[in-house]
Amino acid sequence: MSARLRSRVIAVGVVLVASAASAQVQPKPLPRTSDGKPDFSGVWIATGAIRLMAGDAEADAIRKADQAAGRSLPAPEPPPYKPEYEKVRQEYLARRGIDDPMARCLISGVPRISARPLPFQIVQIPGLIVFLYEVHHAFRIIPTDGRPHPDDIEPSYLGDSIARWDADTLVVDVTGFNTKTWLAGVGTVHSEQLHVTERYTRDSYDTIRYDVTMEDPEVFTRPWHTHEYFRLRPNERIREYECIENNEDLLRIEKLLQNESVFRLQR
Amino acid sequence: MNTACGVALAVLVAVAGVSAHHSFAAEYDANKPLNVTGTVTNVEWTNPHIHFWIDAKGADGAVVHWRFEGYPPNMLVRQGWKKDVTLKPGDTITVSGWQARLEPALGAAREITFADGRKMTAGPPAGTGGQ
Repeated sequence: MSARLRSRVIAVGVVLVASAASAQVQPKPLPRTSDGKPDFSGVWIATGAIRLMAGDAEADAIRKADQAAGRSLPAPEPPPYKPEYEKVRQEYLARRGIDDPMARCLISGVPRISARPLPFQIVQIPGLIVFLYEVHHAFRIIPTDGRPHPDDIEPSYLGDSIARWDADTLVVDVTGFNTKTWLAGVGTVHSEQLHVTERYTRDSYDTIRYDVTMEDPEVFTRPWHTHEYFRLRPNERIREYECIENNEDLLRIEKLLQNESVFRLQR
Repeated sequence: MNTACGVALAVLVAVAGVSAHHSFAAEYDANKPLNVTGTVTNVEWTNPHIHFWIDAKGADGAVVHWRFEGYPPNMLVRQGWKKDVTLKPGDTITVSGWQARLEPALGAAREITFADGRKMTAGPPAGTGGQ
């Protein structure tokens, strides 16, 4: 190796070592709003949905980054349904998900709306946090100023949300749901007694840890827990998705329901 | 279970549970993969799916008017698509995907290969509809 080449190799090596060291010792500080609370503002997407939205290469890179950062989630829990409701879920599964309310462009509930392969934007000011979901043009306006749920809640797809801070974790309490949504996956039905607690923790500049507890004494034997990471998408913006525009699936689904025996036998 | 395995499993389960719009397995058959080459005759740039039509010669030499479903525009633009530019009538393409359960000339598009060899993602992978 010539002296010139050797000096170049050494220079490149020094740069690489220096950038690796600075990446390790200088994580980006967590942003905070003027009241000192963690600022969740930005465009986010569920890590599990990145493969669909951004392709395999980016999803694989993010998986590697998660492994390097030691980021992991508990093993998924099956929904703890009472036998009569587990039977209902199994019927929906046997029908291959054809009854999914989303196929009819109906708004997903909580927490399912957060898992869709479309991003959402969080806008936060002291006393208020707003979630703007690309899917369904849905939004949640959530007070964080300590007020209780209103006393005139009508059952709805997204329910009524209020939030409080538990140290640096935002805890959102959601109640007042209708029964027209699935919780997390095919056939995950619930009653109007559903009570959802969401915990959002910005555990790094790029990630929010999202822990959900679903309580519903009508359908569950105990609370159901799910977990996810949201990933910051600094170059992303919320776009338009007008689901009902040309939803030919409605016609196809009707045809399938009439013509395939697997759908005629049940429900 | 070590951490890496835990992450991999969680991601796998989460992906299986993600649906772009409707259950794949309700309308399409993952056991009927397609690979169709033909000429684009129309592109419908709509939600919740784009559709495009291609004329392709069948095994008996007769032209089959295939129709394919793909991602909605907001998903496609994130993967580099542009309306009226990426895919247009007259283009010769090969579509890989899966056949519909009921309509024989309808398919769910996964990937398009253009005449110059470029490949573009057009729709989601096959799913079971079981999650």
